[in-house]
Amino acid sequence: MSENTEKRDPIEERIKKLKAEDFEKALKVFHKKLNHEYVTYLNSCVHCGLCADSCHYYLSQKDIQSLPAFKLSLATEVFKKYWSFMGRKVSWWTGAKKLDHEMVREWVDSLFGRCTLCGRCSLNCTVGINIHYLIRAARSALVSLGLVPPGLQSTVDTALDKGNNMGIPKEDWIETVEWLEEELQEEVGDKKARLPLDEKGARLLYTVNPREPMFFPLSIVAVGKIFYAAGESWTFSSDNYDVTNYGLYSGDDEAAGIMSQRLVDSRNKLRCETLVLAECGHGFNSNRWEAPEWLSKKYGFEVRSILEIIAGYIREGRIQLDPSKNSDPVTLHDPCNLVRLGGIVEEQRFILKHAVSHFVEMQPNREKNYCCGGGGGQLAMTRFAQRRLEAGKIKADQIKSTGAKIVASPCHNCIDQITELNKHYKLDIQVKTVSEIVADALILWKGKEG
Amino acid sequence: MPFFLKVGVLLAFLFAVVSLSVLVFRTFSFGKSCLHSEPRSKGRRGILYVLGRGMMPWEKESARKHLPTYVGGMAYHLGIFAALAYLFSLLFSIEFSASLISVLRWGVAVGFLSGMALFLKRILLPVMRKISCPDDFAANLLVNIFLVFTFIQTYSESFTAFYYLATIVMFLYIPVGKIRHCFFFFYAKVLFGNFYGRRGVLPSRIDQD
Repeated sequence: MSENTEKRDPIEERIKKLKAEDFEKALKVFHKKLNHEYVTYLNSCVHCGLCADSCHYYLSQKDIQSLPAFKLSLATEVFKKYWSFMGRKVSWWTGAKKLDHEMVREWVDSLFGRCTLCGRCSLNCTVGINIHYLIRAARSALVSLGLVPPGLQSTVDTALDKGNNMGIPKEDWIETVEWLEEELQEEVGDKKARLPLDEKGARLLYTVNPREPMFFPLSIVAVGKIFYAAGESWTFSSDNYDVTNYGLYSGDDEAAGIMSQRLVDSRNKLRCETLVLAECGHGFNSNRWEAPEWLSKKYGFEVRSILEIIAGYIREGRIQLDPSKNSDPVTLHDPCNLVRLGGIVEEQRFILKHAVSHFVEMQPNREKNYCCGGGGGQLAMTRFAQRRLEAGKIKADQIKSTGAKIVASPCHNCIDQITELNKHYKLDIQVKTVSEIVADALILWKGKEG
Repeated sequence: MPFFLKVGVLLAFLFAVVSLSVLVFRTFSFGKSCLHSEPRSKGRRGILYVLGRGMMPWEKESARKHLPTYVGGMAYHLGIFAALAYLFSLLFSIEFSASLISVLRWGVAVGFLSGMALFLKRILLPVMRKISCPDDFAANLLVNIFLVFTFIQTYSESFTAFYYLATIVMFLYIPVGKIRHCFFFFYAKVLFGNFYGRRGVLPSRIDQD
């Protein structure tokens, strides 16, 4: 099935046990996902194959299973078989295929194992098909069959059971915030500097990626320092603070909806004006764009990226930065979910141009940037780890050719992947969040520089 | 004979239009997506972009990297539009000037050559063969046959019967095969443009560094 599979493969065992009624159930889920937009896309692919070079998997693997048109065809073939006249009557002519053991095996391998849902193929499709959405729709059907690769599924399960994807107990989170508050006070030289928790009526409710308190606590201090310098009214929630949403990647709308609703509940409970999403690409896409669709409701409040907030501070003169404090060449990685699928394109550039003295763009950049390979749940799916690293070569080459010493990446999944690429391809770089870079450049008003 | 075939063409065209309408109706029966998220920009801007500047080969990496195929595809489809314009001038006895017919004729000729090149590419390249099904080949061939007969028809009326027959077959095939994308292509572009326009991703910045 794929590399890295052990002798006893739970996915393969599950596939073998699937019965006719299981496939029927999966088809129902797939059908439920299809709206007129999806069906239009499913009827539109002309198999021109020009999407090939847009995919980092195809560029690194050069095999047909990684070709976006092929991956799309796996969904299209099933659609034709059950919901098109010619597909039902003359399957061989239209390439229509049944959803059976073999197809499901291919779906898992190609749609989970060779796709980061980055949308680069969609943007390069000559017709204009949102290919990654259709791949996610097929992933939804796999959810109903219990065929989400274990690592990804357990991340979703942990988030549902424990309230955050790292399973951090509430007391530990509170203790971490208290400890980091002391760090912040020491850093800014002000005992009144705070990392507020559950402050009702604060203007901003700030969320974090649970990897931050676990592995990157200084990125929390960095944001705290920026808020402190701007004199912002803000708070964390002690209950729901996890910006991530792996339901986006597994294709599980129900789970995704539950996770996003928690942030809405916290916002409502604390009566904050704006829900601010940390530097997390898929967390931004999930909570800014997808969650209102999962929950079928319009939010009555603002949802913004921390990058929009920081850019606003610079524009309004609420923070002052000294770019000479970041003198090494810095390049910027554009996380797919934040940029290509999220629309946060210029803010991070505006910020970095004020915070570093030597900024160099990757080529291509912005919405045309290559995926690093860390999205789509790939970091959680160890069975596809080797492929992920190989697919990341495109990003490694992009970074190398900039000559930068620091890669700014406003996404923790991307940071993890680029950190691995750094080791694997010997890039000799440092990877930082944009907030960390800004915090390093801050000029604090009390005359004490950060 | 040509009169009956002419009627046949009209009926086949009607069949294509009605069947496509049914297909469109069925597509909409899957339900409309109601977007609840607050737009960051205007969907309309994205739509205008994908139907305009976004179609230019320099705007898409996939088009830039495969320029001959992309240009061939454009020429192929422009040739089809030219052939359809000529067909309707015959069906409804609309007089075209000689120079216009000449433009259409050469548009059709370039379209036919491009169509054949795309057909050969699909046959010869292993990757293309693997992502193709018989429908892909048939659709391309039927349209190519229509184009070549249109080209001949602009010179001589000796093959009129074959021309109309080829046209009838093509029209009958539209709703059941790949050629149905003639409708879905434009609608997919509108949906796509709206999606990325709302999110503020498209239009792309012109001055990307």
